[in-house]
Amino acid sequence: MSANLHQAGVRFLRQLGRHAEPIMDAYLAGSISDEALEPGVQERLVKDGILYRPEPGADLHLRRTVRALLEEALKDDRNRQIDANTGATLATFRTLAAHYTEARHQGDYVAADAYLADLREHVYSFCESLSHSIRVLWSRINNEFGYVGSLGAKIRENELAQTQVSELLAGLELIDFQDLAETAGDLRELRRLLVASLQRSVSDAYLELGVVQARLLDLLGRFRKIQGRTRLLRGWSLHVEQQPDYQPGRHTALPQMPQLLNLAEALLAPAAVDVHDSVLEAELLALAAQVRAQREERALLPLPEAGELVLDEVESFEVQASPIQDAVQQYLCEVIESGRPISALAWRAEQRLPWDEETWLYQVIGGYEALPDEQKDYFELLPEGEDHPVFSGNYIVRDLALCLSV
Amino acid sequence: MLSTKGQVIERLLQGAFICRTTDEEGWRFLKNPANREQVDDYLGTLNRSVASVGSGADAEVFYCAYRQLGENERRVVGQQFRDVCNALTPLVEWLLLVQEATAQDAPLTEGSPIRLNELQGIVEDTPAFREQLARISHYRLFGSTSTSVDAQIKQVFKRLCELGYLVRPNPEKQIYLGTGKLDYLYEVIRFIDEAEGLALEDRAEAASQGNLL
Repeated sequence: MSANLHQAGVRFLRQLGRHAEPIMDAYLAGSISDEALEPGVQERLVKDGILYRPEPGADLHLRRTVRALLEEALKDDRNRQIDANTGATLATFRTLAAHYTEARHQGDYVAADAYLADLREHVYSFCESLSHSIRVLWSRINNEFGYVGSLGAKIRENELAQTQVSELLAGLELIDFQDLAETAGDLRELRRLLVASLQRSVSDAYLELGVVQARLLDLLGRFRKIQGRTRLLRGWSLHVEQQPDYQPGRHTALPQMPQLLNLAEALLAPAAVDVHDSVLEAELLALAAQVRAQREERALLPLPEAGELVLDEVESFEVQASPIQDAVQQYLCEVIESGRPISALAWRAEQRLPWDEETWLYQVIGGYEALPDEQKDYFELLPEGEDHPVFSGNYIVRDLALCLSV
Repeated sequence: MLSTKGQVIERLLQGAFICRTTDEEGWRFLKNPANREQVDDYLGTLNRSVASVGSGADAEVFYCAYRQLGENERRVVGQQFRDVCNALTPLVEWLLLVQEATAQDAPLTEGSPIRLNELQGIVEDTPAFREQLARISHYRLFGSTSTSVDAQIKQVFKRLCELGYLVRPNPEKQIYLGTGKLDYLYEVIRFIDEAEGLALEDRAEAASQGNLL
């Protein structure tokens, strides 16, 4: 018998593995169409109870148990199925316990062991499904019902979760340990299973469900607050639209003015910096640096609009020559007129020019260098001076003479 | 350097709203009832006290209120209330614009981030939002006279920072955070709603259901 079961189970699991692709498609899309499967495969999957057709002509859907298996394995958020049917489970416990007691009394230990194993399986799976339900609730709370988009949907999901919690709690209420203890009688194995182990997981579940409920209420409150705020804003904007000259009443004049509107006047103006406090030097420097930065920024501000630009004749203007340049001009003219070299310093003395010797010499050199090349060629600059006595390569100009070049 | 207590008192006397976003240290300090009492005692000499939005352990935003209301205090409070009321409509419209443009369920509250560039991109691409922004930015509260979306939105954000509704934690980034003053604003609207029986929530609900139909 068990060998048969084993083989059938392995075959079933292989079946699942072999058709993993279409099964996952069906899981993700909700259903799978007939065309997507070969007729043979489709028939086998339906026969094995993996797929089913909810109504004639509809696409194939995954069986609930297979879907639950996948949801559990994938930790899928959409899994919000919670089994809260404690009454039926309890009845099963009691029935199996009665079978076991009877078999023990009749001395049929093989049958008794089989019943006990069965009962144990049921109790364990009950405890497991309890903790699973709580885990599912937590996972939904922890991502704040992130799998639905709008706030309204979140509130509805939250309400669903709350009814599930209440149902679970109501189911747990049904477990009467007095009654279970009587059922177990003085059979040690039964007592351990029905009383000790069950009680432990039930009290754990109670504790956790209490926390879950509090968190759910908390979340619901937050969702409602957010929703309330949005509605307030919208309501206000509608209200002002309908009554454009609306002004709130003078609530501050009421004798029992609400604390909310009691806003004191700002009392402190910023204090000034103490520039004589050397302790603050670093901060002051930083402040000064900021001032400069601001000034630079200000320069980057958009420039005022430029006036219209008109292209017309350039107005004529005169360049005002400085007196020293005039003097150099005269000196050059004199050189041209006389046709012989004239010492710059002698000319300075002769004309009683007011500038000191060095300035004059530089200006003469400058005047000569500034001439256009073709004019410069007519002149020759003859510096008079000597080499520096110590540092070679330096030539000290004492005087210069300008003459017409030959 | 001032102690936390000193800083908190200074900020309160400057008329600031202390919340987790603007001043986490001060906010933690005031969350402790014993500390809050100390500050309260200090402010008592100046006829002021620490007030909060929400009460007891739910207090999230702290500000400075008068302890006793005489003639002068009432006048000041009345003026402040009028200022808040005048700012309400522009702010509400702006909050709605942000909420709609960013397609969020929740309106902007304390601590929620808002990226200027993103918002600007969405507003620029949607003519209805552009119109809305133009209208909002021309309110006296924001005082923009520009016609470009860029200048309008920058002006609005600048004013909101000045008014203390937004903070910009990093001056090099265009990311802003809502402050506790926004929460105060919601409470004021709620208060007006309740005191005057405007039934704003019902009206919004009715309107949204009308839209669905």
